[in-house]
Amino acid sequence: MTTKQLKRPEVLAPAGTLEKLKTAIHYGADAVYIGGDAYGLRSRAGNFSFEDMAEGVAFAKEHNAKVYVAANMVTHEGDEQGSGEFFRTLRDIGINAVIVSDPALIEICALEAPGLPIHLSTQASATNYETLEFWKNEGLERVVLAREVSMEEVRAIRAHTDIEIEAFIHGAMCISYSGRCTLSNHMSKRDANRGGCSQSCRWKYDLFDMPMADTRRSLLTSGEVEEEDFSMSAVDMAMIEHIPDLIEAGVDSFKIEGRMKSIHYVSTVANVYKAAVDSYMADPDNYVCKQEWLDELWKVAQRELSTGFYYQTPSEEEQLFGPRRKIPVYKFVGEVLAYDDTTGLATIRQRNHFSVGDEVEFYGPGFRHFHQPVTEMIDDKGVSIERAPHPMMVLTMPVISPVEPGDMIRKKK
Amino acid sequence: MNIEITTTVESIEQAKQLLEKGIDTLYFGEETYGLRLPTSFSRTEQQELVELAHSYGKKATIAVNGIMHPDKMATISEYLDFLAQIKVDAITVGDPGVIYLLNKGDYPYSFIYDGHTLVTNARQVNFWAKKGAVGAVIAREVPYEELKAMSSHLDVWGEILVYGATCIHQSKRPLVRNFFSFIQAEESVGKERDLFISEPKKPETHYSIYEDTHGTHIFADNDLNLMGQLDKLVESQFTHWKLDGLYTPGDNFVAIADCFIQARQLIGEGKWTTEQMNRLNEQIEVLHPKGRGLDTGFFLMDPDEVK
Repeated sequence: MTTKQLKRPEVLAPAGTLEKLKTAIHYGADAVYIGGDAYGLRSRAGNFSFEDMAEGVAFAKEHNAKVYVAANMVTHEGDEQGSGEFFRTLRDIGINAVIVSDPALIEICALEAPGLPIHLSTQASATNYETLEFWKNEGLERVVLAREVSMEEVRAIRAHTDIEIEAFIHGAMCISYSGRCTLSNHMSKRDANRGGCSQSCRWKYDLFDMPMADTRRSLLTSGEVEEEDFSMSAVDMAMIEHIPDLIEAGVDSFKIEGRMKSIHYVSTVANVYKAAVDSYMADPDNYVCKQEWLDELWKVAQRELSTGFYYQTPSEEEQLFGPRRKIPVYKFVGEVLAYDDTTGLATIRQRNHFSVGDEVEFYGPGFRHFHQPVTEMIDDKGVSIERAPHPMMVLTMPVISPVEPGDMIRKKK
Repeated sequence: MNIEITTTVESIEQAKQLLEKGIDTLYFGEETYGLRLPTSFSRTEQQELVELAHSYGKKATIAVNGIMHPDKMATISEYLDFLAQIKVDAITVGDPGVIYLLNKGDYPYSFIYDGHTLVTNARQVNFWAKKGAVGAVIAREVPYEELKAMSSHLDVWGEILVYGATCIHQSKRPLVRNFFSFIQAEESVGKERDLFISEPKKPETHYSIYEDTHGTHIFADNDLNLMGQLDKLVESQFTHWKLDGLYTPGDNFVAIADCFIQARQLIGEGKWTTEQMNRLNEQIEVLHPKGRGLDTGFFLMDPDEVK
């Protein structure tokens, strides 16, 4: 038996919309983070109105989950106006915490919305325990670590402070220290720290020197390999194989990136990490990372996966140079609305085109999943159909295993 | 009105020249703790530079403005003590962990908050002032219209870069080294290699890029020159000016600093005219390194232009 004193970490999922919030919680997220209409960094994510937030909070409470609001913009003069009322409204709606990096907003929130817990955003690039102690003394409840912190550093930080630690475990990563990049401001006139980031780090650049001041000499090839553009773009993070390390290092909250991502993505990733955390907490000594979890994450991966800075400084292997290595691509094709146990028929809402004969996979919370061919489809008029071409159309089909409302269906592209 | 001019330093000899010209504060440090410095000085040199500044009745500010990981924090107390011993006047700090240490200890010097891109609002500056900052370095991405609005709300002074390179990206990743490894090129990646990147389909752009122990740094397409905007700075009471010589070596940097000292003199005497401004601007353009551009950055931009 283990003698380890382990605290169950929260699985924290992104939720760009109310539908994603409900999906994430349904699929096991202990908490979700969302954006409001103001003060956030994802101007293109579906941000929440106060009404949506209230509905989201009610749903979360029913399921014993929490809702955080990211208000992590770096304000310019005047942007902070109205933020006191904004924070008070969030508090009164029942939001569990706000995620903030700007000290102006932190101060306003603490003064004008007392009782609303504050988490320091990763935008503040916290990399040492003294910084965490600083913010603890300011009354903050939690610090989201910089993505540049190694596992050894997480342990060192945890050894010296008892403030809650949140760390990114999955998803795309800023290439810079978060907040310390204004490439987008300078190249696209879009403020990276106020929700406008144009992701200039993912562009392809020339790299050159100017030996004669006026003449440039490109350095995109050494002659050894084919010419390659310079880019800062990196692969994504996946810490699924290192859950014990993260828990034992004392990380309180496992953060999944991606408020812009689909319900297919959010449900899959939350489901996997919840299963892994449950499995480890149930029996730490005999825990193994299951291949099916990895397989599952690859189904929604948009880039190759790595462990970021946790175990080493990322090398060229973790940059997106050269031809892209092929990753499996799956399409989210439908969601289960109902299931009739007596007939074995599932009622499905179509989310992407699929046809009789397709091999599909059903998956649901608690890591239930199975494959089957689509043998028959019946539309809402009772007519047998070969294809489901219309977005959101409702149909029924026989399934080989029981399913539940909220289960999802995907198909290999 | 007292205009204070701070400049970076690349050598003891250059420090002497800058002090002779009349700058108020020498700004330097060592690479372990300070960001993007022209030279990383030894402890002995740092002591010598502080003594030199003091011998002219001037000040020495040390860059301790890195994002500090635990390995750097493990040794920083000894450095902070050393800076007290050599009697520095101030340090710049960008990591709240360092402020935590400063407030726990009893250090005889003050600190200036330098969070680079993160200082864009007077309330942020005032927050750090409450934690002990005597001033703050304002982000380069703040246009003049916003500076004006900031001015009356500031509890402590805000420092403005009036000349030099603007860092627009700091990554912990060795981005250039990784690229050269990928294309199997044997290349150095430090500042002295003088590398640039240009945007897709904009070959005329030239963003400087280099690596050091803090990671990879990328700089704005053109270096900043606010010689033509000094009257606006004075009017809005931004009277702490910094000149950064990271990419402007030797005597030319001293001569450029002298242009700003002359401007200060003329402004103080009420003799600042367009002719004088144009004259000094022309000198700066001649002295500025070939192959590097100059512009006013975000200063004259309409705040609404940036989304």
